[in-house]
Amino acid sequence: METDNIASSERFSPEILGFMQLAIDQAKLALDSLEVPVGCVIVEDGNVIAAGRNRTNETRNATRHAEMEALDVLIIQWQRTGFTAAEVAEKFSACSLYVTCEPCIMCAAALSIIGIKEVYYGCANDKFGGCGSILSLHSSSSEAGISIGNCGSKGFKCCGGIMASEAVSLLRDFYEQGNPNAPKPHRSRVTQA
Amino acid sequence: MSGEDGGAWQIVHVPGRPPVPPDQQLTVNVVAAQIEQPKLTNTIIRRLSQIAPLEDLHHVKRVKKKCIEGGQIQLSVILCLAPENGDFDGIPCDVKDVINSYQLSPFVAKVCKYAASSKEEWVEQCKLWPTSYHPPTYNISGITGFSEEDSQSVVSFMKYALELAKSHGNVVVNAAAIVDPLSNQVIARACDEVCSLQTPKTEASAECGGPGQVKTSISCLHPRWWVDEQTGRSSSFCHPLRHAAIVAIESSAARDRRLFPDVRYKDESTIEECVLSPANSQVKRQKTDANDVDNDDKNDTAYGNGDLSSRPYLCTGNDIYLVWEPCIMCAMALVHQRIRRVFYACPNPSAGALGSVHRLQGEKSLNHHYAVFRVVVPQDVLDKVELSMISGS
Ligand SMILES: [Zn+2]
Ligand SMILES: [Zn+2]
Repeated sequence: METDNIASSERFSPEILGFMQLAIDQAKLALDSLEVPVGCVIVEDGNVIAAGRNRTNETRNATRHAEMEALDVLIIQWQRTGFTAAEVAEKFSACSLYVTCEPCIMCAAALSIIGIKEVYYGCANDKFGGCGSILSLHSSSSEAGISIGNCGSKGFKCCGGIMASEAVSLLRDFYEQGNPNAPKPHRSRVTQA
Repeated sequence: MSGEDGGAWQIVHVPGRPPVPPDQQLTVNVVAAQIEQPKLTNTIIRRLSQIAPLEDLHHVKRVKKKCIEGGQIQLSVILCLAPENGDFDGIPCDVKDVINSYQLSPFVAKVCKYAASSKEEWVEQCKLWPTSYHPPTYNISGITGFSEEDSQSVVSFMKYALELAKSHGNVVVNAAAIVDPLSNQVIARACDEVCSLQTPKTEASAECGGPGQVKTSISCLHPRWWVDEQTGRSSSFCHPLRHAAIVAIESSAARDRRLFPDVRYKDESTIEECVLSPANSQVKRQKTDANDVDNDDKNDTAYGNGDLSSRPYLCTGNDIYLVWEPCIMCAMALVHQRIRRVFYACPNPSAGALGSVHRLQGEKSLNHHYAVFRVVVPQDVLDKVELSMISGS
């Protein structure tokens, strides 16, 4: 599993940079809505099939990270289409996620549970990161899966450092203006991450 | 495991790092002496803390009290660290002066090198020489033990969670109850909603209902179970990420929005139906649940009439009761939502994140730390809720 933390964006293909720009656009939407600016898109066969941005302040649910939002969009949509669990699993295994910040431990676990194919992220998340910073959930496939088929966790390919400076500068903008939704000053750092 | 004799409920703190077996705790040698005249104790201690402070042993108490026959109390004091070679000639001159002026008889004693990380470790340490116990979360009540009243409250909420887990017919699921300990109220409750077989009022099918299959339907034990061959072929899947703890957090957030509406987000109900609820059937059921909780809210005097100044921040101060130890996704979700204490009944050896596989409560980099407790359920209670076979005990 590679976790390539290269600051320079020149190393990445125009396709990767293009999708990351869409994720950054989502992060900007979050910033406009007074949310911690993290955004993502999910790509299948070169097409964006879902987007998400952080909504933790609006929902008062600190688990509503961009990744969870985007995954829910697809799960609900596919469920309405009438796909079986096996079909849903197969579709996710062909999907790539582009997210502006390294998925946190919770989101990395969720991505492993749904069985995403690969993750491209912007800046590292040195407080909560689940793809190398604190834990490496992308590279761990649990032994528990052996005895009971697919029941363990599933690893995924992971690559970081894509347009990281853009992602960081959005986060800096947010923290400089403070978190206006927080009820008290010491609560001004509701973090998605 | 202690439930086996049918015995008592137990609440066991699960510390942030694995407990060190008492015989494997690192110790250091110190020079100590008995104080024959107790009234001199304070004077001696004051003098020693000036001339020989115990720099790296702040957790070690300077004086050891021991009750001897006849109700007498024997006091010993640590004079200084033992000289490297164990030779008393190496004792600093100032300390030698103290020894001589009070006619002390120095001896070598062992003390624990590091502060205890759990109450159990601390109890063991004190057998050697008394230490103080101040874990990072020491101000969270329960870490140093529960009062009788608090224990009973913990037991009753765990029973509530066990009943909840059992409320799905033959299909056993994980269950979660978020509790506000100030008002002693359940403010949110949920069961796994990963598979539609887990939703209430559904007859258990042959696939999931058999005793041998039951275990795998508990979301946090086997998070990838939803793609299992048996479930994969049926079209009745719900949502692979709707583990009980996640659903309970969602429900507590919905309650927060109801009690403390924010004019900035008027389209809230639309969001809830489109984004947060995966299926139509679930929307209906959630509305039913919401009605129940609404009724609870009317009796909720703790928060008044939605006065924003009393609005809680996420789940700060709240506890969660889970039947099974949460997986890493759920455990991190509970960190994000600022839960104060996590209680679980059954360890999760395949994917548990609070002691079994990971120990998230010990990750220093996180911005919030909750205290974790395992509630050991007596065998007869497990039998009654028919969870004994899968409890891992
Ligand atoms: Zn996240
Ligand atoms: Zn879980």
